[in-house]
Amino acid sequence: MGKFYHEAHHVAKLATLHPSHRHLDIDSGVGYNKNNSSMSDGVHMHRRILHVDLDAFFASVEQALDPSLEGKPVVVGGKPGGRGVVSSASYEARVFGIRSAMPLSRAYRLCPQAVFVDGHFSYYRIASQRFMSILDDYSPHVEPGGIDEAYVDLTGSEALFGPAHGVAQRIRERVWDELRITASVGLSTSKVVSKVASDLDKPDGLVEVMPGEEAAFLAPLPVRRLPGVGPKTEQVLKGVGVAAIGDLAALSPSYLCCLFGKTGALLGSWARGEDGSPVEERGEARSISRCATLSRDTLDRPFLLGMLRYLSEKVGAELRRMEKRARVVALKVRYADFETLTRQCRLRGPTDIDQLIFGAVAELLQRQLAGAAKLVRLVGVEVSGLQAEAQLRLLPSVEDRLERLDRALDGLRLRYGYDAVQTGRTLAVQRRAGVFS
Amino acid sequence: MRLTCRQENLAKGLGIVGRAVATRSTLPITNNVLLATDGGRLKLSATNLEIALSYWVGGNIEEDGAITVPARLLTDFVNTLPADNVLMALNGKSLKLQCLRFEAKMSGVDAEDFPPIPKIADGLDARIASEALHQAISQVAFAAAAEDTRPVLTGVHAEFEGSNLTLAAADGFRLAVYKAQLLSPVEGKTGVIIPAKALSELSRLLPEQEESVEITVSPSKSQVLFRLKDAELVSQLIQGTFPNYSQLIPQSSTCRAVVNTSEFLKATRTASIFARDASGIVRLVLTSGSEATPGKLTISARAEEVGENMGEIDAMVKGEASKIAFNAKYLTDVLSVIKEGQVALEITTPSSPGLLRPVGSEGYVHVVMPMFVQW
Repeated sequence: MGKFYHEAHHVAKLATLHPSHRHLDIDSGVGYNKNNSSMSDGVHMHRRILHVDLDAFFASVEQALDPSLEGKPVVVGGKPGGRGVVSSASYEARVFGIRSAMPLSRAYRLCPQAVFVDGHFSYYRIASQRFMSILDDYSPHVEPGGIDEAYVDLTGSEALFGPAHGVAQRIRERVWDELRITASVGLSTSKVVSKVASDLDKPDGLVEVMPGEEAAFLAPLPVRRLPGVGPKTEQVLKGVGVAAIGDLAALSPSYLCCLFGKTGALLGSWARGEDGSPVEERGEARSISRCATLSRDTLDRPFLLGMLRYLSEKVGAELRRMEKRARVVALKVRYADFETLTRQCRLRGPTDIDQLIFGAVAELLQRQLAGAAKLVRLVGVEVSGLQAEAQLRLLPSVEDRLERLDRALDGLRLRYGYDAVQTGRTLAVQRRAGVFS
Repeated sequence: MRLTCRQENLAKGLGIVGRAVATRSTLPITNNVLLATDGGRLKLSATNLEIALSYWVGGNIEEDGAITVPARLLTDFVNTLPADNVLMALNGKSLKLQCLRFEAKMSGVDAEDFPPIPKIADGLDARIASEALHQAISQVAFAAAAEDTRPVLTGVHAEFEGSNLTLAAADGFRLAVYKAQLLSPVEGKTGVIIPAKALSELSRLLPEQEESVEITVSPSKSQVLFRLKDAELVSQLIQGTFPNYSQLIPQSSTCRAVVNTSEFLKATRTASIFARDASGIVRLVLTSGSEATPGKLTISARAEEVGENMGEIDAMVKGEASKIAFNAKYLTDVLSVIKEGQVALEITTPSSPGLLRPVGSEGYVHVVMPMFVQW
């Protein structure tokens, strides 16, 4: 029996590409990174920004862990009988046309001989941490853009490490030596251009865009290459005859505002290679969500509740790992006809307790499905309103016991895996539908 | 039943017992008020089965009798009548009211069907000055839990021993304990848990009560009766074990600050405006002074993406410089009820309970758990 759901991991970050306020660290005196002022104060100094992107990250970790997979098409996401989608495909698999987010069944048809594996997210996290710590060796300004990519600001570090190009090369070598994963790097004067550049010569590439050549570099590329341009935006642009980034760069900001609202002007400047946004340290997570596409569309309450229990435990574990508590819990439901809705409720107080998260989301589900006739395709749990602060308790309460229970479970699962210990609800789901990763 | 009474008195009585009328009850008659002649007066009673309130209105009783009528209907009607004599006459189950040129008839339900209000005759009997009881309730009842995840915490623990009545309430995060004097000593030691809601209702009646209040606890410890001059309140007691709170009161501290109560309250209120968007967190920093300058207490709050503020008041600080964070509401709640001019704040670590007590008064202690914050 195959994996019965696709688990989407999503930790929402503060916008990484939007220019935002930089908090000056007064204690450390003059900031290391002076790039923001370089234009205005007349000092001629270009920023040197890397975008480092690990190639086929999940699949590469699997290959690094199991040398027998080396050189083979590897698909991470689950067994092909399931309804999940491809989380990651090795470059050997991509040759067959397999791409991320493609249904597993289709991936199987394209390449039946590929090795299909479940994800090992705990390993990916460890690999990611080691990746980030390599980057930390070269700059105090490292901004993760996800689990497998980051921006590094090397401005002003020539004296210490030599030219940025060499640093980029050394980073790629170290990532390979230490993690057995290839990295693609873009190097330019801004985040946006570096991001586009890193994607241009994948895998194992290094693309440098010289200062002043940003716009020319971007111009011939299709608009879809530009961050912020998704299928919808692309469609709209196509409608007005814009196919290449250069065409987009030529549009006036006011016209772009008409087309896309506030983000329009931003897209225009990005298209011209203008992006003054600083490389900021790791953004604070604002929400955590986990969702699961079900093995088949259903209205079976015990099954749905079991699934939500499982997702609540995953969300709770992530909260505890981050040492945060959530004030708001949301339920996401996608029906068989793809109608998707989110319902949220505010908790009595901030919590990281699985049982309370599940209780809230279960109530939302009961309310949502009261009288519902449509089958459910996907359910998700999201928590937001995260905070580290907590009201301490004077009297021992039920919450204390639940908190201790959750921490004990976290400890057990860290050593022996998720299914070392389970509630009846998740066990029933597992028996019926397959295994949890 | 046939009687005449003053509209003002009737309206006042209905207003008082109306607080006990059930709002969401499965027993429809509890939406009614019971009218009954009693010893030459008109007795009004209402109950939600948790508490029962009775009030006696003076009048001219021509014929005894009893009936229940919808409380809301009667109250709303009486409230609009002119201030004059109201004639009430019962004909079968129909109650007729007449006041000058206004008249109404309303259908009633048999008084027999009204839930009997427990009569509490023997048991523990104590007397307390009305003002002392009012003060005790106001200093304690707000600290009881609003939600009933632990029913005993929605109540106020009342302990009668010798000449003392000790009231205590806790909601899991704070504890208030107040010791009041009884007018005469009682025998032995009796502890009961009175619903905080019942005490709040009682305290509304107390200010205009010049005399003492008689408190009777039923021998089975299932009900308590508060008898006032013209009113009675009977409440069910909460069954269960109240936490042993004396062990929750810190016996020592490493830092003690004495500050002006109203200044502290004001500064906390100011900080609480910014704290609204930050889970109510206010941060307190205590700094001791030197020979020439007094110490100070700073109270600040900061909300991400909103802003921050800081206020400072003079403080006589003894001990190590300290910091601690509290929920602003817990501070303003307690500071609002302390009448003494100065209050002492005693703390040990940022994660151990803080203690507030009025300076110059032994009777009151208030314990608040801090909030865990990243400084």
